[in-house]
Amino acid sequence: MLGTKWTAKLRAGLVVAGVLAAAACGGAADNADGPVRVSVWAWYPEFKAVVDAFNASHKDIQVEWTNVGTGPDQYAKLKTAFTAGKGAPDVAMVEFQQIPTFVILDALVDMGPYGANDDKDLYAEWAWSQATDGDKVYAIPVDGGPMALMYRKDLFDKHGIPVPTTWAEYADAAAKIKAVDPNAYIASFGSDGGWLNGLMWQAGCRPYGYSQAKAKDQVKIDLTAPECEKVVELYGDLVSKGLMAQDKFFTADATAALDSGKYWTWAAAGWTPGYVAGSLKNTAGKWAVAPMPQWTAGADEQGDWGGSTFTVTKQAKNPQAAATVARELFGRSKAAWDIGLNKAFLYPLVKEVAADPAFTGKAYDFFDGQKVNEIFVPVSEKLGEFQYTPFQDFVFKDLNDRTAEAMSGSRQWSTVLEETQKNVVAYAEKQGFKVSR
Amino acid sequence: MTRSIPITAPAADDLPPSPRPVESRSRPSRRRVTAHPVAGALFVLPFFLVVVAFLVVPLGYAFWLSLSSKSLALGTRFTGVDNYVRAFTDPLLLDGLLRVVLFGLVQIPVMLGIALAGALTLDAVTTRFAVAFRLIAFMPYAVPAVVGALMWGFLYSRTFGPFADLPTLVGGDPIDFFSASLLLVSLGNIVTWAWTGYNMIILYSALQGVPREMYEAAVIDGATPVQIALRVKVPAIKQAISLAAIFTVIGTMQFFTEPQIMARFAPQISAGYTPNLYAYNQAFAYSDFNYSAALSFALGFLVFVVAYAFVFVNRKRGAHS
Repeated sequence: MLGTKWTAKLRAGLVVAGVLAAAACGGAADNADGPVRVSVWAWYPEFKAVVDAFNASHKDIQVEWTNVGTGPDQYAKLKTAFTAGKGAPDVAMVEFQQIPTFVILDALVDMGPYGANDDKDLYAEWAWSQATDGDKVYAIPVDGGPMALMYRKDLFDKHGIPVPTTWAEYADAAAKIKAVDPNAYIASFGSDGGWLNGLMWQAGCRPYGYSQAKAKDQVKIDLTAPECEKVVELYGDLVSKGLMAQDKFFTADATAALDSGKYWTWAAAGWTPGYVAGSLKNTAGKWAVAPMPQWTAGADEQGDWGGSTFTVTKQAKNPQAAATVARELFGRSKAAWDIGLNKAFLYPLVKEVAADPAFTGKAYDFFDGQKVNEIFVPVSEKLGEFQYTPFQDFVFKDLNDRTAEAMSGSRQWSTVLEETQKNVVAYAEKQGFKVSR
Repeated sequence: MTRSIPITAPAADDLPPSPRPVESRSRPSRRRVTAHPVAGALFVLPFFLVVVAFLVVPLGYAFWLSLSSKSLALGTRFTGVDNYVRAFTDPLLLDGLLRVVLFGLVQIPVMLGIALAGALTLDAVTTRFAVAFRLIAFMPYAVPAVVGALMWGFLYSRTFGPFADLPTLVGGDPIDFFSASLLLVSLGNIVTWAWTGYNMIILYSALQGVPREMYEAAVIDGATPVQIALRVKVPAIKQAISLAAIFTVIGTMQFFTEPQIMARFAPQISAGYTPNLYAYNQAFAYSDFNYSAALSFALGFLVFVVAYAFVFVNRKRGAHS
């Protein structure tokens, strides 16, 4: 990895080493005649079929796809490539919360001049606002993660515990579950910054604000607002009382716990049905999806956990062709969405696909035939504006480290957000930002 | 644990002096070499190029990086030693250093103790079993650190692991290997598992080089096998032991792979859990390559100082005894 970082420097000084490094880096060369080749980094499941569909329908542009790792692995490689000034792909998959980070690193091409502003009406409004800044289009949305409550219908029914509709009822249910089965938990506190962020979003918490178009060096950080604090308070209380487990999400332990009746619920996202349907074999058919519990009875507040986009990098050799790839891989391809929905289980941010009865009316065996998208689609439609900081990795990592301290008992849950706020503000100021609340 | 080229490996004069071949002085070949300086330089050139390209230039570049600061909002500016001042006053780095030192104080003696005991046993036993055991003991070293850490992650699992539920057999609580109190022990176990065999083989090889006459002399003097092991064999391989120790100290200071992998299971592994992990996160998570470079250099400097101090103390001790 470090090798590529220095490639540019080596070349300047040392011809021999430069040649070696270039040979090692490889990279697709544009043929003078023949289709334009666009390199893409992405980790979507079943993505090969999507790429094949694109290549079959485009004569002048051919996609060359590499999976360099999921999330953080790919970002580390991207950041190295941008620092080196060489080695990045033409098009890269980037999650929503990372877009401002790559924008401030000056890594992303504004696709506006390549016609991307025409795509605005195709996509869910909240997603488009996160992918763009004014009329600058930094990313094309692909999939999202509107949140809802996955729960074990059979167990709730069997023990006569009502499925919670408010967070107060959720806490009650947690105690009742523990009472009927001492080995069971209502859920796990998964140590996932994005997940906690989604819960805070749902609670009406808007802790971050940033717009490069308005002011590059100004950022809003307000993690200690009451709407944010109440989430950590609720979950901290459940964890301290031993009513909530502490397995990290997506570990084998957490998956096994979900599949064995140890966890009864998971406040999950639109993409989780696909994720769990593949791995929870024992409990398939026993799960159901309910809307997220509300903070006020009868309210309709919603949040999102995750979601991703395609971006064109500043190192793209042919930005026009790269923008076409970013816009059309999923955006304008029915074939791609057939694969995305039925094999990769992505939650579509293309409005037309999400509203299609083929999607909303799809019955999932995993949920005993429930048409769960009837719950997820209205959630996605309800999501309003939410912004991220240009250093979201730091925020999520610090949040995770502080909650880990609270879980191990070396920190009071009530000081988690206060401490994170302090650390994030200090970091932001060191990075030259003016911080407001 | 990542082991790099030990820049501060014990100097050659640290090894037992070998009798210098007297006849080499009169060899005519020497004069011939000096007669063709260009040819000599050409032979050295490939090596020189590789060293410059893959050691000097990267190090120089990293050092240059560490002297400036690139803030997200303000861009790059030259800040001199600011990053180093920040590093040595950064509580997260100091916490990580303290953790690694604590880790090393326990893990290194335990591991080298087991390795030494194993090597002495292997040296004393000369059955076919010893050959097989040598292979088995060495095997964890052949497993890539990433794979080893992942494997132990599963072995530690509360659901799948064979160990977590052991206390429940006698009515205790299941063990949480990822809890804050046990985490360092769990990591230490992985490192010990991976490197004990490696060190054992180093020490065993050194034992093979000890002249057998010394043992015979000891036997004639009436020494028991244990006395031979502790009073003859151990002093005889002192150089190898200190070599193994210094490699281990350097490796421990660079502790990275195991915590990085285990972080997938253990939320308690924070961004600054070890100094090396902190440097990695600064660069690849927080986009601060300059501070990361400064951290790496600071860490490299510390490793150098510690390793040198170790060699120095060792040599002093050697001179006294």
